[in-house]
Amino acid sequence: MKTKFFPALVLSIAAAVSMRAQPSFAGPMPSPAVEPDADVRREAYHQRINEVLHWYSAQAKPGVPYGREVILAKLALREDRAEVSRSVITYMKDPGTGPFWMFPVVAMSLLGQDQLTPAAKQALRDMWRTTYQVRGDTENHWAMYYISLYLISELYPNEPAETWYTGKSSAENLAEAREYLIHWMDLATTVGQGEFNPTGYIAEYAVPLSYLSTWAKDPAMRLRGHMMLDLLFSELAENSLNGMLRGPNARTDEGNVIERWNAITSYFNWLLFGNTVPPAGYGGFGMFFALAAKNYDVPEVMYRIAVDRDRDFVARDLKRTRRRWRLSDQLMPPIYKTSYMRKDYAAGSYQGGLADPIQTHVWDVTWAVPDPRGVHNTMFSLHPYSSNDSMQMYFSTFPEPMIPNLAVEGKPSYDTPTKVVGSSPYERVFQDRDTVIALYDIPPGTRFPQINGFFSKDLVNLTEDKSGWIFAQGGNTYLAYRPLAAYKWIPYLHRNGGWAKEEKNLGGQLLVSEFLKNGTIVQAASADEFRSFAAFQAAINSLPLEFKLEPVPVVKMTTLRGTRVVFTYGQAPLVNGARLDYSKWKLFESPYLNAEKGSRRITISYGRMQRVLDFSVPSITESATPTP
Amino acid sequence: MPTRNITLALLGWCAALAVSLAAAAPLHDLYICASNSRGTRVIGFKDTSLNGVYRREADGSFTHLGLNHPMTLSVTFDPRDARLFYVASLSGILRTPDGGQTWRVATDWDVTEPKSVVVDPNDPDTVYAGVPDGFIVSRDRGLTWVRAERGLPERGKYTQVVQVDRTHAGRVLIGCETGIYLTEDGAKSWRHVFTCAATVEDLQQSPHDPLFWLAVTQADGALQSRDGGFSWTKLAGVPAEHALYNVAFDALNPQRLALASWTYGLLTSEDGGRTWVERNAGLPVPHRVWRTAIDPDTGRLYAAVLDQALFVSDDFGRTWKAGGMEGSRITGFTFVPRAAR
Repeated sequence: MKTKFFPALVLSIAAAVSMRAQPSFAGPMPSPAVEPDADVRREAYHQRINEVLHWYSAQAKPGVPYGREVILAKLALREDRAEVSRSVITYMKDPGTGPFWMFPVVAMSLLGQDQLTPAAKQALRDMWRTTYQVRGDTENHWAMYYISLYLISELYPNEPAETWYTGKSSAENLAEAREYLIHWMDLATTVGQGEFNPTGYIAEYAVPLSYLSTWAKDPAMRLRGHMMLDLLFSELAENSLNGMLRGPNARTDEGNVIERWNAITSYFNWLLFGNTVPPAGYGGFGMFFALAAKNYDVPEVMYRIAVDRDRDFVARDLKRTRRRWRLSDQLMPPIYKTSYMRKDYAAGSYQGGLADPIQTHVWDVTWAVPDPRGVHNTMFSLHPYSSNDSMQMYFSTFPEPMIPNLAVEGKPSYDTPTKVVGSSPYERVFQDRDTVIALYDIPPGTRFPQINGFFSKDLVNLTEDKSGWIFAQGGNTYLAYRPLAAYKWIPYLHRNGGWAKEEKNLGGQLLVSEFLKNGTIVQAASADEFRSFAAFQAAINSLPLEFKLEPVPVVKMTTLRGTRVVFTYGQAPLVNGARLDYSKWKLFESPYLNAEKGSRRITISYGRMQRVLDFSVPSITESATPTP
Repeated sequence: MPTRNITLALLGWCAALAVSLAAAAPLHDLYICASNSRGTRVIGFKDTSLNGVYRREADGSFTHLGLNHPMTLSVTFDPRDARLFYVASLSGILRTPDGGQTWRVATDWDVTEPKSVVVDPNDPDTVYAGVPDGFIVSRDRGLTWVRAERGLPERGKYTQVVQVDRTHAGRVLIGCETGIYLTEDGAKSWRHVFTCAATVEDLQQSPHDPLFWLAVTQADGALQSRDGGFSWTKLAGVPAEHALYNVAFDALNPQRLALASWTYGLLTSEDGGRTWVERNAGLPVPHRVWRTAIDPDTGRLYAAVLDQALFVSDDFGRTWKAGGMEGSRITGFTFVPRAAR
């Protein structure tokens, strides 16, 4: 069984509203200047929240019952109470089911406690008795489901089993929800989050967590909600380049992976840090976060990580795959993630293999641009893997029906050879700062036996050098791409999101290499490091590099940064002669985020500031160490 | 000659019996698990279809029972009182004590997507369920559930199907990713009785001979056991290149068997499994047969064609007619003795 998928909702909401002008979406890019005054930052944050709420409130149509988003915006703004109550009653006459339905309804109940009429409140309450709510089958579903169930059971305590769709009492619902949520938080803070760094699904976590941190009556659960938000947003801050989340991503889609800015993660960066512009319709689900966002104060340490980096840095994180029900010797194998961030660009990767069966993006080099709207500022390669085995690994389904169903379940590109999203069991990746090596060893008979390399329309000076390197420039970043086997070029056809069936030629090319044993090397550098593009090319061409593809792909090279790498497909890389030991990977390790594996204790740092999230207590401790 | 005459007489008697049984009130109620979203259901989208458990009425129509759940896979009934039944659903095991009037999600957060649920007819307080990460059991009529996986492998225990031996309390066979496992002590311990390359999709015990079992698999074709599930051999004549989804015995005729498959459609045997023929003429193309069943009262053959409809045949697959449930995805058939009503 496979169930999906929020981006369609986001798109539908966004599409419905995007025709009307949205101040920040249509406005100029914000100033990159750092705002040192906390009060000014807070005021700007609240202004952005108000922009979202007022914009949605203004979508109300005279004489027509308010829709869900308008009801919620008006409740948050405490407007039009009588019409809002009438609209809630109308809305409840045709209830939906499942986690995506649940959390906005919970928000209606909680925001409306002192605003809605008794009849409207009763309509909301009755729904929880009369309409069965499906739980879903992924972690984002369960986060939305159980936070919703937790909050609504707290709101109506001491009520008997027959008054709930679960057939369980308020106390039973509450206990089950609490137990799951703590279990999930334990997993995330000991062995890593499953749906890590998602471009879309961040909302499915952030929105319900904001409700938990706002409305939970149990102070410990309220605090846990706040701490998970801190963790989620700290990761977003650290992994974003000028407000734009880049890869790797456990789950993303065809639109987000190419136009990196155009994801709901940019909404969160805009709202929290003010360092980019939001996508159309505030990303759709963004409005649900705005409802409780004023309860969340953006910690300065997090703000600084997002907007005020004073150095290049490497971050290493531990994550985990989606649950593998079968065809794997581990339920949730570890993901070893590497990120290298500089002013002009960022490189990110994990070690390869399947993380999520459909939507994973394994690695990229993404460059900064002054205004990212419409820009395809990224480079990567992948094996377009498509397989029933993969479906069966992650879904409890018969072998055949999943792939045909994907066409109608939001993943029409999955079974296409030219797709640009997806992980493969036949890809292995190693990254050292701004060098990424991806090796491929695809068994004969595998569907789509090719490698796709993405070359953006926004690259300039694309040069196929006789050395075998392909050089290009994106923004202020020089890029060198080395295919390890022969290739051809085909036009890149863009899909504007996971659900998009239509392909558009917006420019750009795919490098297609139809060799089973294969590889890609990408080396990036800032243009500021070289006196000219030619000097960069010369430097790359002078790098010691040997590779062979038989019997398995092997790359032996010295990177632009002087690191000696021997990377053999299927083996841990040798780095300056030492075998890379993934077992030593920490939960977080960077200048900004640090945590030992299994610790449940995450330290967020910036300069003298420190914020410690200790989930074993739970507690948040802030400190500022004295200036030396 | 006498032997031939006796055989003909027996055949005639069987035929007469079948006709009289068909004419009489059915001894069983048919329940199905079905979804009606034509494969387009997406969590988060509005789904106006009615899904879950249906019961066949006297006029052949199907009545929805109780809870509208988008994905149900298996339903099992308490033989003492069929108003108490259990449903394997996306969200866990659902339990109703009153014929679907009220429901409880009987399992907790740690059980997801159970594939198969079965009451032990000889110990009906005990209910077994296979789940993607193993096996669970309830010993208190489905009120509480615990893991019961001693003897199952740490990995490879994805459980697609559970069947209880109707002749022995606590004797259960399960079809898993790594093969077939057997317990004879009510799931206190398991032993591996057959290794498969991929998931065992269905297991059935013959209504004629309790020692005779059939299994169908994803990659090993069909299997038979003549010793109650201790040992298994491949059933020759059944294609094994593609997955087989389920198998059915005819309670009226031990020679008749049916198999459902995405690729092969509907396969039948009328010689006890020695030879098989495709019976897809008259079924929609492509004939993705998700489930098959044989009515124990009439011998009517059912073919649930994915997202198309239920089709029925009264000549064992030679001709088909629509049997209702247009647009449905039927995931399970359960025949329940009316005595338990």
